[in-house]
Order: sequence, then C-alpha cells, then structure tokens
Amino acid sequence: MSRGCLLSLCAAGVALALVVPTCHAAMQSPILVEIHGPSEPLTMGDTPTFNGTVTNRGDWNLKGLIVYLSLVSLKPGEERPVDLEDWSAQKAVRIDELRPGQDNTQEWPMRLIQAGRYGVALTVVDPNESQPIISDLLTFDIASKPTLSSSRIVPVAFGEPAFLVLLVGLYWFRCRFRRS
Amino acid sequence: MSRVGALLRKELLEGVLSIRSAALYLTSVAVLSVFAVTLVSNREMSLLDNAQAVYLMSCIVLAMGLLVAVIRGGDSFAGERERQTLELLLVAPVRGREIALAKLGGTLLAWVVTFVLAIPYVWAVGSTGQNLGPALVYLFVSGALLTLIFGGVTLIVSTRTRSLMAALSVGLTLFLLFGSPVVLGPSLRQSSVGRIIDWVNPFAHGLNMLDSVVVDSQGISFQLAHLGVLAGYAIVIMLWVSLTTRRVRL
Repeated sequence: MSRGCLLSLCAAGVALALVVPTCHAAMQSPILVEIHGPSEPLTMGDTPTFNGTVTNRGDWNLKGLIVYLSLVSLKPGEERPVDLEDWSAQKAVRIDELRPGQDNTQEWPMRLIQAGRYGVALTVVDPNESQPIISDLLTFDIASKPTLSSSRIVPVAFGEPAFLVLLVGLYWFRCRFRRS
Repeated sequence: MSRVGALLRKELLEGVLSIRSAALYLTSVAVLSVFAVTLVSNREMSLLDNAQAVYLMSCIVLAMGLLVAVIRGGDSFAGERERQTLELLLVAPVRGREIALAKLGGTLLAWVVTFVLAIPYVWAVGSTGQNLGPALVYLFVSGALLTLIFGGVTLIVSTRTRSLMAALSVGLTLFLLFGSPVVLGPSLRQSSVGRIIDWVNPFAHGLNMLDSVVVDSQGISFQLAHLGVLAGYAIVIMLWVSLTTRRVRL
C-alpha cells in the first residue's frame, strides 16, 4: 500500500473518530424536540402561533430544561438571524421537570412584520448536557402586504399644510383689516 | 391678572399666533408631509409594518418638537436682548425666574401645538396597526419632558450669550450631539460605550421608550426607567434654570 493511501486512511480514521461520538451523543439524547407551524399561507401582519413539543424519551427525569426559539431570514441576500423582540415573540421557556415519556407543549405566537422566506427552529438546552438539541428547521414564506394606505396618508399630507396656510392667511387678513 | 400671568399669556399667545411660530409650525408640518408621502410612494417603505411606521413618524415628530424647543429656548433671552426688548422685561416688576418660567411655558405650549398638528400624521400611518393610542400618549409625555430638558438648556445658554445666533448654534450643536448616536444606528449602540451613551442621553431614552411601546408592545413597567431618567433630567435642568435666571443681565 502506498504512503499516500496510508495517510488518507489515517485521516479518514481520525475524522470518523471525531464524528462518531458526536452522532452517538445526538442519537443517545433522550430529548425529542419538534416545532409545527400553521398550514395556511402567511401574510404580513398575521399573528400565527407555532407549537413546540419537547418529549423525554429517556428513563430518567430531566430538570431545568431551557427551550428557546430561533428565527432566521432565508431571503437571498438577507440571510441573518431575526431579532425576536421586534416580532413580539417569546424568547425562552423553562421546563422545570420532564418525567420519562412525558412531553411538554409550548405555544410560540409571533407577529409577522416583514415579508420574505424564514426558518424557525426550537432549541432545548439541558444544563447537564454539553450539546443542545435542535428541532428540524421549519421554513415558511410571508407574503407582502402594503400596510400604508395612500387613501389615508395623501389627504393628510396635502390637506393639513393647506389648512394651516389658510388659517394663517385668514388670521393675517383679520389682523390687517382690524389695523386699517 | 397677576404680572406673571400676563407675561405667561403673552408668551403663550406668541407661541401660537406670531408669524415666527406659524413659520415653525408650517415647517414642521411640511417635513411630516414629505415623510408621509415618502412612506407611501416608496415600495419598500410602504410594506413597513404599521407599528414601525408609527415609530418612525413618532421619532420625526419628537425631533421636530425638540428643534422647535431649541429655537424657542435660544430665542428666549438672547432674542429679546438682540431685539433690544430685554430691558423692558427687566424693568417690569417680575423676577428673572418668572420670566424664565413664562418662556418655558411658551416652549411647552409650542410642543403641545406641534404634537396636536402631528396627530393626523401618526393616525394616517398607523390607524390599522397596533399601539396607536399608547404611541400618542408616550410621544406626548416624552416630548414634553425632552422639551423641558432641551428648551431649558438652551434657555440657560441664552441668558449668557449676547446674540441669538450664538445661543442657537450652541443649542443646535447640543441637539445634533445628543441625536447623533441614535442616528448612527443599533450596531453602535450594542457596544459598551454605546450603551453608556444611551443611558446618559435623554433623547435616546425618549426614542427607546417609543420603540419599546410601539414596536415591542411592552407595558409601563418597562418604561419606568426611561421615564425616571427623563424626569430626573427635567428636574435638574429646571433647578439649574431657576438658579441661572435669579439675576439676568442686560
């Protein structure tokens, strides 16, 4: 066997050794986390509720689990995490105790303020484990909706200055008339 | 009517009915109109959430109100001095502190007028969205406190300067100085220095409070710190005004 082949085998072995424990840890985790979204199409301004479920598949009690939501923009060119505060979404939930076989369901309401493609995932952190458990990414689209109506804004934008000019003009004429 | 009452009445009338005040209000309304038309004519901006639009409009109203407060505060003593009418005020049987009180009353009324003129604009961009009522309440309160702070500071400067231009320059520089960290955006404000600036900057407190109320739908318990800081600043500035205007020199 050539020296190159031996080196490649060693590298592959090291890589496998690094990957396998990680997969093993993930597979061994007793926590199952899932997130479900609304099935109907979403539009800006909607306030849908996403449902999260955390299940304890293990044989022992889990205590002090922290569950939090992550929202990312997947719109091409604007890929970034989204500030949940602006979307009026709850930031984290603490599960005091989850007995074997028990599940915990949370509701994650959200106000959709911007159009685009988004992904949402739930993360569960067990204080006794080194690795957080993350649900599958749930992707969804938000259709745009013009929220500002020109029929309301244009009359105010042109009407109010005109009204004010008229008032000032009338007042000025009144003052001049009185003086004369 | 007492002499102070008469002085206050004069200031209030000047604050609403003088040509200078009318010009200021017309300018404010023109700025709001331009911004409102920009909101609907720009495709990206017309898709803004109503709450975001209300927040942006409220920020502009607040900035316009403060600009009016700075101009009126600067004009209070330096303007009278420049127009050679301060002597008449000083020989009247009223104390300097009372003149300052009347001037601040006029400045506060100017904010009330600016706010009333802005209500239709805020309604137009946010009537179908959330938090319009709280937005108007907090805008009025934060604007009144900031008017006392900025108007008071420029009034103090105005007692010391001989020309209106000098008082206005100082006032507008302060306005830009306090406004600049807010304009520079959230990334700068995330750093520790940015947070400190945010904490000491009354203008930032006003804007953060509006953001919290309008965009994040947070209740009064989240606003107490902002309101406390703004009220604290206003009280300190009022005490400073009271001390500075005990004796006004010609």
